[in-house]
Amino acid sequence: MNAVKTLTKSGVMLVALLTMLLLPALAQENPKLSDPEVAHVAVVANQIDIGYAEIALKKSKNQDILKFAETMTNDHTAVIGQASDLAKKLGVTPMENAVSKQLLADAEKTKKELRSKSRKDFDKAYIDNEVAYHKAVIAAVKNLLIPETENAELKALLEKVLPALETHLEHAEMVQKKI
Amino acid sequence: MRERALRIVRTGIVLFLGLIFYVGCSSSTENKKEERKPAPKVHTVEIKQMKFVPAELHVNKGDTVLFINNDLVAHDVTEEPNGSWTSSALQASESWALQVTQSADYYCSLHIVMKGKIIVD
Ligand SMILES: [Cu+2]
Repeated sequence: MNAVKTLTKSGVMLVALLTMLLLPALAQENPKLSDPEVAHVAVVANQIDIGYAEIALKKSKNQDILKFAETMTNDHTAVIGQASDLAKKLGVTPMENAVSKQLLADAEKTKKELRSKSRKDFDKAYIDNEVAYHKAVIAAVKNLLIPETENAELKALLEKVLPALETHLEHAEMVQKKI
Repeated sequence: MRERALRIVRTGIVLFLGLIFYVGCSSSTENKKEERKPAPKVHTVEIKQMKFVPAELHVNKGDTVLFINNDLVAHDVTEEPNGSWTSSALQASESWALQVTQSADYYCSLHIVMKGKIIVD
């Protein structure tokens, strides 16, 4: 019962997040995000998942969860490294914006929820959130970030990151089935 | 007495010639076998976009497979299901060579949905 409630809740949150991310973009013909803003959203989205993994590495005892969280930490750190290198090369300073602020605010709430879970409920809550979060980020990269990016190299990097996000999602779904 | 000695010598020569013939024959069949067996080859499996490319590779026993990580993130190459060999983590642009002794399934233990196969023909 509890699980159903959590799932429904994360489903609702996912739809809300996507609507929030996509509506302003769809409402305007001109790009809503500049490249420095796209870069900031990309970096923040990766940092958020590292933040979730940090909590999992502290709270979980499950080997599948721990290995997944370690991969999330390493992969998202690698992507941030690539994004920072590219930003430097292009002379772009990532710029805070409404989308990245909203992502951070939502993540703070989710992290608080995850930290408050008992050890027994944590694994399921963490992996459910990973599935929902990766779905939301994949949609945002495909439908918002890539279309709004002007610079070809930044666009290429975002396209290169997609297969990693999709693999993370499949991996999370596999772990989710076992929990 | 002399005839007996002669016979022994003759037998010796026949045996000796026989031996030469035998050795000659067997070494020539050995040469043929070596000619038929191709020299060990080096194959390449590229890791890119979260995939082993090619995911299925046919090799001969004794060949080497070089795994090159051309992806954004670290990967490994680990025998499945026993983990009897592993490359350990390969960072971006690192590579690892495997000498093939038998067919094997493998996966990336960091991204468990990434899988590949080596088939010894
Ligand atoms: Cu991998």
